[in-house]
Amino acid sequence: MTLEDRFSLAETRRHFFHKCGLGLGRVALGSLLARSLPAASSNPMAPRKPHFEPKAKSVIYLFMAGGPSHLDMFVHKPVLDKLSGQKPPDSFMKGKRFAFMERMARQKMLGSPWKYAQHGQSGAWISELLPHIAANADDIAIINTMRAVNFNHAPAKIFSHTGSVIAGRPSMGAWITYGLGSESENLPGFVTLQSGPRGPRNGPLIWGSGFLPSAYQGVPFLPGAEPVFNLASQPGVTPARQDRARNAIRDLNEMRFAATGDDEIATRIASYETAFRMQTSGPELMNLAGESKDTLEMYGAEPGKNSFANNCLLARRLIERGVRCVQVYHTDWDHHTNLKTSLPQRCGEVDRPSAALVRDLKQRGLLNQTLVIWGGEFGRTPISDGDAGAAIGRNHHIDAYSTWLAGGGIKGGQVIGETDDIGFSPVQDVVEVHDLHATMLHLLGLNHTKLTYRFQGRDFRLTDVHGKVVRQLLA
Amino acid sequence: MQSVNRHKKLWLLSGVGMALTAALPGQDTDLYEREVRPLIEANCLGCHNQKIRMSGLSLATRSDAIAGGKRGVVITPGKPGESRILQVLRHDDPVKMPPGRALPAADIAKVERWISQGAPWPDQPVRAAPKPNHWSFKPPRRPSLPAVENATWVQSPIDRFILARLEKEKVAPSEEAPKTTLIRRAYLDLTGLPPSPAEVRAFLADDKPGAWERVVDRLLESPHYGERWGRRWLDYARYADSDAGSRDEPRQIWRYRDWVINALNSDMPFDRFVLEQLAGDLLPNPTNDQLIATGFHRNSMIQIEAGTDREQYRVEAVFDRVDTTGTVFLGLSVGCARCHDHKFDPISHREYYQLFAFFNTADEWGNDRPRYDARIHNLHQVHAPLLELAPPAEIKRRDGLVERYYKLGEEIDRIKEENNGKKDDPRIKEIEEEIKKLIKQIPRFESSMIMREWEPRRETNIFLGGDFLSKGDRVDPGTPSFLNPFPAGAGATRLDLARWIVDPANPLLARVTVNRIWQDYFGRGLVETENDFGTQGSPPTHPELLDWLAVELVESGWSQKAIHRLIATSAAYRQSSKVRDDLKESDPGNYLLARQSRLRLDAEIVRDAALTASGLLTARIGGPSVYPPQPDAAMQASQVKKSWKASTGPDRYRRGMYTFFWRVTPNPALVVFDAPNTMTTCTRRTRSNTPLQALALLNEVAFHEFAQGFAARLLAETPEGGEQRIRRAFELSVSREPNAPETARLRELLAAEIDALRTHPEEATKLNGPAPPHGVDAVDLAAWTTLSRVLFNTDEFITRE
Repeated sequence: MTLEDRFSLAETRRHFFHKCGLGLGRVALGSLLARSLPAASSNPMAPRKPHFEPKAKSVIYLFMAGGPSHLDMFVHKPVLDKLSGQKPPDSFMKGKRFAFMERMARQKMLGSPWKYAQHGQSGAWISELLPHIAANADDIAIINTMRAVNFNHAPAKIFSHTGSVIAGRPSMGAWITYGLGSESENLPGFVTLQSGPRGPRNGPLIWGSGFLPSAYQGVPFLPGAEPVFNLASQPGVTPARQDRARNAIRDLNEMRFAATGDDEIATRIASYETAFRMQTSGPELMNLAGESKDTLEMYGAEPGKNSFANNCLLARRLIERGVRCVQVYHTDWDHHTNLKTSLPQRCGEVDRPSAALVRDLKQRGLLNQTLVIWGGEFGRTPISDGDAGAAIGRNHHIDAYSTWLAGGGIKGGQVIGETDDIGFSPVQDVVEVHDLHATMLHLLGLNHTKLTYRFQGRDFRLTDVHGKVVRQLLA
Repeated sequence: MQSVNRHKKLWLLSGVGMALTAALPGQDTDLYEREVRPLIEANCLGCHNQKIRMSGLSLATRSDAIAGGKRGVVITPGKPGESRILQVLRHDDPVKMPPGRALPAADIAKVERWISQGAPWPDQPVRAAPKPNHWSFKPPRRPSLPAVENATWVQSPIDRFILARLEKEKVAPSEEAPKTTLIRRAYLDLTGLPPSPAEVRAFLADDKPGAWERVVDRLLESPHYGERWGRRWLDYARYADSDAGSRDEPRQIWRYRDWVINALNSDMPFDRFVLEQLAGDLLPNPTNDQLIATGFHRNSMIQIEAGTDREQYRVEAVFDRVDTTGTVFLGLSVGCARCHDHKFDPISHREYYQLFAFFNTADEWGNDRPRYDARIHNLHQVHAPLLELAPPAEIKRRDGLVERYYKLGEEIDRIKEENNGKKDDPRIKEIEEEIKKLIKQIPRFESSMIMREWEPRRETNIFLGGDFLSKGDRVDPGTPSFLNPFPAGAGATRLDLARWIVDPANPLLARVTVNRIWQDYFGRGLVETENDFGTQGSPPTHPELLDWLAVELVESGWSQKAIHRLIATSAAYRQSSKVRDDLKESDPGNYLLARQSRLRLDAEIVRDAALTASGLLTARIGGPSVYPPQPDAAMQASQVKKSWKASTGPDRYRRGMYTFFWRVTPNPALVVFDAPNTMTTCTRRTRSNTPLQALALLNEVAFHEFAQGFAARLLAETPEGGEQRIRRAFELSVSREPNAPETARLRELLAAEIDALRTHPEEATKLNGPAPPHGVDAVDLAAWTTLSRVLFNTDEFITRE
């Protein structure tokens, strides 16, 4: 941490105590604080002021890992449907690079097997695979010209999360909590949830903190009553016993604080108080039984199950509790083959809960302060992959794919970007991943060129030297 | 923590001077010379020069300035009203320059006046790169020891520098820390393990002169010194036991870790230590140890993904080696010159690739021999050259078997081709059977990843904008010209680079090295930006002391132990870490070092301290990495599921530095206490203070075992129980006696625990896990386990005071 960081941290800490009345103030620390107000803090999650008035306070990113087929969900291409089964025109293929090149030479155009209709006031085209999301068409802004830079899952995922294809940079959630801290006293500031047959490729690297302090890395919540490592006490450590230990630890720490005057001890006391609260709030958070039957039904959530539906509901519960950033992963979108059977299954798993999340947030008055993003690391080709017939699928495609956003400062009911007749290349309004990141930070009140961290002599950013705020997305 | 302030700094650079040769006739260039040029130099030229041209704009010459940039014309001579630069300077434009705060109005008025006079500017500037005058680029000279008033305070030459500054500022140093604090500090700092109560008592009883120096000398001779300081070096070396990437394959390179430990324990001269790590393989007839030492640069990540461009990842590994070399040995952010000339330090884009050229010639197994990869992958999981520790004849026999294996694979390919890709051929089945048998016969040898040159030597081109696909000029190996001369020519190798780095004429190596050692004794380096000694780094708080130590390191024959001894025996180091009210205003950051600092222990040492107190520690040094128990879910997140079978027996209780480090799913107890992620070099650890740390110490299975072990030890060693036992518990955990309130508080806890457990003895059974040894009361053991947990969770336990 540089000197400036430290000064601003001390500043933050003062702000934290004096102006916000948050955190330690509520903890049984009164006597300590009366004696000595900590001047500097190592509490990395102390809330910090954004650069300017934010539109959103928190972010929920519904990440469809594997590359969902935008051409079968959001991009209606009648010409492609007509050309289906024919060899792709040379003009589309020339100079293009794909994953699994050698296979691509044999492939044909593939129209969408699903029906499209226009929805909402905006008349957005959405296929029959996503009826619930379609019903929300006027709340969401669909981008059909997202562009990525690498057509393999691992680097593309790292890129979509960190702005670099090389592992080791901080993820967007880490940047956000580094910039803003968190308003949750009892839960980590950046949480990840997962459903699907396996974890997303590269796992912790995509929610890591890179060169930022490790406190900013995403904390994966696991299904069940113990979402965080070490949340449950060891056998024989009853709540009463833990409570006795807690009081003794606090008292010994207070004595040492009096002897040394080191503010770190005050922070540690606060950390322990938070930890003990987490032991209760964690299981309470995970327990969906208290949700109304209507809510559970709206999401399709079933208490006790590990599903995308449950995770969407958990995401709402997390941001309700002040968590800054929630990444919800649903895997298994990599449909090189069996598109016709697998894609409807995935859509069936995510359509209702994704839409329910937006609707639920809206009903609770939370949508205007919560940014919801839905998308994957890239899309899929208008050209087939796999063998003809039932097994047919689509290859990875990075030149144009879809992502939608809703809530916190987003102008809903619009479709951004046009692609050519077969949905291969963008025709206008390209949105780079760095632009999406810049826009996300902007909505959170952060200037993406100013949210920097000095590492190896350079001021690094989530957007590297790129990125522009997509004004069209803003309400 | 957004670096808003920093931007100001960013724009305040000069370093680009302009000598003027001729003025345009009839123009008064005086205003420009006196008023405007200094403004441009100080505020604009860092980015708007002819090389960087941020936003397409250069302000290096009049014609550049008038031509404008990507956003159009900014200066119209004679017409301030049409000159957008004025709006930009006033921050009345969407573009606001300099970023951050606008220049004072008086300065902007000067620019306005100058424009209205027709922007006179002699248009033939000579852009002479000035000889860098930065302090760290000049060789250190040994300063004389400053005079001090309070000479009795001085214990080591270091103290004169510290005290002279304190006296100048009229601040008194702190008193010496209590002896119990001191000895725990020294043990933790020098060996990473707390002292035993007997060692504490021996020190307390030793009132002969030189008692402290004897402790320090003994600790420097302890084999645990090499572990403690070796672990620190491994941070710099980004040491890990796996590749990263989505597969995160395991790798065998722990022998490099052990080489570091041994080298430090034997106090290998630091120049030799550096040389062997950078180029041990290029020494004449290298020994196995010298080859193993080159593991330093093998610690780069290997990210091989199906369908990716291998060259990109090979190049990334080379970038990592260049950047790590710059950071660790030069304290320079050379990585900034990867895409363009360094904006602040005199390292050009070309020079970056000259450094790159030294590492670009290395053998990267997987990258150079794609034919081998997919199949050898299954066989060996190896993507780097190895030193195999087996008799040559055995290796030769194995190579024969591997060759046979490849032949068989090719045979299958051939048959498939014959059959148009169909696999159902009886011949294929037969061959596959043979392959299965063959794989079982192929022996696997103990090995360590090493560096090796690849023939023919790869040529190096500049990558324009850092993009490995945009090749610019070809370059030969070389070093930045502003540092000591590089005698070797175009055919120079890594060995020449290593010799250049350890040349005493190099102004940086010794300074950077002593500064990092200092950093671990005081919590901060004399240069706070330990990885940036360039013009953007912070200046040293005690420049003469830094140089004195740097010269001392070289003149002591590069003995690191000599530097440790100088620091650890100083009065400055021995000061109390108690926060002083009188310094809160004048020096809240403790830059003057009028006291010591309390420092939270490193992740590994948190574990080591608990292992030591509980008596469970297996003190064996080195060997393959081990698998202490960890939460079951810790390995869940990886794409390729890995098993973590907890070690049993002595390996369950090894020091934290021996825990197997998976880059993608590292041991949670290490991560939570800020162990480096090993993706890139780490020259300073963060010290965070979070609730997840509390949860780890309170609830993690490993720490629970330590508490159980601690309780059992206390019961066995203090049969008298009660206060004696509380006292023993304090001595074992924090190396001091408890005071009366602390004892009373723990007695209260103990009484409540025993009460509760007598009512619910089944809770004791659960707490104790396995049945207590014969003669041990289960309730007693369980109650003391809780007390042990409490002590392990105190701030003092995980802090070196």
